[in-house]
Amino acid sequence: MPDVYAPLQIKEGELIMDADRMVLNAYDASAVEEALVLKEKHGGEVEVVCIGPSKASETIRKALAMGADKATHILASGDEEYDSASYAKILSAFFKDKEYDVIGLGKQSQDTDSGLTGSMVAEHLSLPYTTNAVGLEVENGNLVVKRQGDSGQEMIELPTPCAVTCSNDMNDPRIPNLKGIMASKRKPIDQVEISSLGIDEAELQADTKVTSYEEKPARQAGKKYEGEAEEVAREVAQLLDTEANVL
Amino acid sequence: MSTILTYIAISDGKLKRSSLEVLSHCKSLADASGASCEAVVIDAKASSFVDGIQKYGASKVHVVEDPIFKNHMNTPLLKALSKVMGSVNPSVFAFASTEGTKDVLGALAANQNAAVIADVASFELIDGGVKAKRPVMAAKIMNNTEAKSDKVLVSVRSGSYDLNESPESAEVVNIDFSMDDSEMKSTLREIISASGDTIDLNEAEAIVAAGRGVKDEEGKALISELASVLKAGIGASRALTESGVYDPSLQIGQTGKVVSPQLYIAVGISGAIQHVAGMANSKVIVAINKDPDAPIFEVADYGIVGDLYKVLPPFIEEIKKIKS
Repeated sequence: MPDVYAPLQIKEGELIMDADRMVLNAYDASAVEEALVLKEKHGGEVEVVCIGPSKASETIRKALAMGADKATHILASGDEEYDSASYAKILSAFFKDKEYDVIGLGKQSQDTDSGLTGSMVAEHLSLPYTTNAVGLEVENGNLVVKRQGDSGQEMIELPTPCAVTCSNDMNDPRIPNLKGIMASKRKPIDQVEISSLGIDEAELQADTKVTSYEEKPARQAGKKYEGEAEEVAREVAQLLDTEANVL
Repeated sequence: MSTILTYIAISDGKLKRSSLEVLSHCKSLADASGASCEAVVIDAKASSFVDGIQKYGASKVHVVEDPIFKNHMNTPLLKALSKVMGSVNPSVFAFASTEGTKDVLGALAANQNAAVIADVASFELIDGGVKAKRPVMAAKIMNNTEAKSDKVLVSVRSGSYDLNESPESAEVVNIDFSMDDSEMKSTLREIISASGDTIDLNEAEAIVAAGRGVKDEEGKALISELASVLKAGIGASRALTESGVYDPSLQIGQTGKVVSPQLYIAVGISGAIQHVAGMANSKVIVAINKDPDAPIFEVADYGIVGDLYKVLPPFIEEIKKIKS
């Protein structure tokens, strides 16, 4: 995904990113980290999959440098107008004939914050799943997920194969070290064309479309009260009552 | 006639205010377009909520009642929502964007082959679908998204719309539901509730949020006292939930809860962009910080530059006086 912290501007409704770089989504990085931790504890293999234009290969290398064993790059031109549903269909087609225990995904993408793809993939593949995971354990071959819900943390046990979307509150993704970076250069990245996945192109047509971008209605900075703590504290409390009317 | 359906979420035995906000908005959309405004409630005690729902303008309330809905689990909820969509056939199905909704929205769209726009700040009807505004790029900007489909799902951020009572005597439609144990794809082992009788931040009228400036038990005690005087929920910045000072469920920001209460008091919070993304839509923002250049002051209506340990005691005392 594009770097959300890079400078951006809007010109006539179009979003223009000053830096044309791709970065690893922070939630996906947490999913990779958790996969590596599970591998360290229980063995197995970590494979990463990315849909993106050719320049996304740097992002894939980063996951390999963190310690993933191999990667698949599903090539997109970058000009397609795909939405979450399109990506979910591509991923589902890719996973359909694969063997895996857990599909880990970021809970959402930092640029759009939609958070739809994970549960869509699970539904297409009829997998048990959960979202917004903040902790994972393996017990008796099942995945035990701690999920941040509306009114507490839910402990959910899922048989494998299953899918889980990860929160960044789960871990601090490791920063690749030099050894990891060197090793990543020798790890295989399989390149796959979308057309080879057996999906009808018409099915990928997005139902949703971003028509334009705009500035957020700016929030005006209010007044700053500096001075003797007791005095300004009482003054602002009074204003919350008489002026803002929120007490 | 087309139907605009609103999902009414229940949490801890209460109607979620954010769902009623969405229903209020759907009622006005339905009135303007001649559509039917209907609601669905899915809970172990679903029928007991009909009275509270019809106050906000639903002319029909679909009720799915089954003990399995006592706690959130995505398999039965998804099955119930799919069944409801099949029987009501709404052109628009609107949700409050709760964690429960986020857990099933994508799966429901895939299951029903519906278009979906998640986590919007506002939406309206257009010819052949829905048009919405969404905060994107770490909530720095908005985009306009259109969904063209005869079935559109949309989830709405809490606080996006005001509650608007519009009493109806709703027709109640009970929808049969049963679920075999063998259909359950996962098991809910337990729920670890956040400590004490905390107020749900998505529902709170006022929130007192603590940041890095809150350093010790004395600081936490001041936060608790202020929250108690205001009957406010307590939130925290990522720094304080990560270090374990506050429960992770209290985190406010892009990755935690996105809130929009009437009054938001940021105490010792510098105002990193990820935090601001989670609270910038609050009606009135007060910031207390000793750094006069802290970015939080750029979004605060009332900024108090000062040491929170010196500011809060007289601030709390004055509010107590006003309230008494």
